[in-house]
Amino acid sequence: MNVAIDQTLDVKGLSCPMPMMKLAKIMKGMKSDEVLEMLGTDPGTKSDLPRWCDKTGNTLIDKNELDGGIFRFLIKKK
Amino acid sequence: MSDSKKEAGVLGQLFKTFFSKHWPVWVGGIVLGTLNILLFAIKSPWGASGGINNWGENVYRLVGVFNLENAQPLSESLYGMLCLFLVIGAFIGALLSSEFALRIPPIGELIKGFIGGSLMALGATFGIGCTIGAFFSGMPALSGGAIIFTIGLFVGVIVALKYLMWEMEKFPGFSTGKSYNFLSGTGKKGIWQKWAGWIVLIVTLIIAYQYSGGNKIMAWFIIIGMLMGLISQRSRFCIVKAFRDPFMTGEADGSVGIMAGLLVGLFGFTIIKYFGIGVGDIALRTREMTWVFPHFFLRAAIGGLIFGIGMTIAGGCAVGTLWRVGEGQVKLWASALGFLILSPISKHYIVPPIVNSLPQSWDFKNYLPDYIGYAGAFTLVIFIILLWYVFVKWNEKTGRFSAY
Repeated sequence: MNVAIDQTLDVKGLSCPMPMMKLAKIMKGMKSDEVLEMLGTDPGTKSDLPRWCDKTGNTLIDKNELDGGIFRFLIKKK
Repeated sequence: MSDSKKEAGVLGQLFKTFFSKHWPVWVGGIVLGTLNILLFAIKSPWGASGGINNWGENVYRLVGVFNLENAQPLSESLYGMLCLFLVIGAFIGALLSSEFALRIPPIGELIKGFIGGSLMALGATFGIGCTIGAFFSGMPALSGGAIIFTIGLFVGVIVALKYLMWEMEKFPGFSTGKSYNFLSGTGKKGIWQKWAGWIVLIVTLIIAYQYSGGNKIMAWFIIIGMLMGLISQRSRFCIVKAFRDPFMTGEADGSVGIMAGLLVGLFGFTIIKYFGIGVGDIALRTREMTWVFPHFFLRAAIGGLIFGIGMTIAGGCAVGTLWRVGEGQVKLWASALGFLILSPISKHYIVPPIVNSLPQSWDFKNYLPDYIGYAGAFTLVIFIILLWYVFVKWNEKTGRFSAY
């Protein structure tokens, strides 16, 4: 997916609750329509993140799994 | 030929239903609540801290310290084996869904895991139970102490969450740094995980069958423990999440899932106790008092508080730690290690002198039906669950108590 990425959050190696805490914190400081790339390895994020986006109104524009068990998410700020 | 292809498709779909996506937490809660009733029907309800304590006692027995040579061998301990097969069940679930990987976090996270696990051991031995025995089983068991333990958990979670947020703000480097990921099941190379999952599942069933001749209860504890681990992993069943998330991101899904399990357990446990099902040779009163611990009120309050702090720092309660161990989360390996190392020391050396100095009116068995009858106790627990539900759903909508 070809999208301009404004910031990247690397939470590889971290498990619940750190990925979601760090995500919530960094998103607070971002401007509307900016895109965050998040890289993590906790499988819990696969279900936590879409639910959090639904709740907060941010948009999960892409998610996929890279080699080495890394999950990549692109989130657009509301 | 075409029939067999069609059959394979159907089975493939069934496999995908279980292992392609995470299950809703409420589904996990309902199934775990049901399995908890089955454990009670054949022996006694679900518990986790006792099993981990048994692991620790066996470690010390092997090393030859702390005079624990009479500790029950793991292979004979129902709860030691239940916990062991919970880990194995989670391992099977992670393998079959290609979610297993050895995930080694930054060193700061490992330290937090170990400290959190140690605090959980302290809380569980002081409070006589963990989030499973003194909460997920304790509330349906109509124990007054379980309600106090739950209040302690809430306070502990809020305190520890404040700490985590402070740490993230002031010392962000503590949870960053070099991390490693091995043996992941991504892509075609990860197909080995599915094969390994089936093999471990078959071996587990063979072990259970081996026990079925002389120890039928153990055979079922092994099977149910394995299912509990698998279901917990697939549904991300986590009690710390249920307590923490409303105050963190405001989400209520985890809480509602736990409530579903509590509700199912409440019906089953009440019926078992009320009718004395499975009473066998023991007195009806003994059956009624199952999972009603002598911790009302001070031991439950302090134990719950310490346990709540520990599980939030570790990022998993006793069962959340165990299934994440099976999933390969090395932070929770550190948590399990801290738990099993400190639990026997706390149980035999730290807690007894403190407890012996307490008046008996501060740590006794409070069985709610003794005071307000079965109908009153049942209604009270339902009311607490309902109150919790209204709070988390209202908070989810308004974000009033959420940090983010």
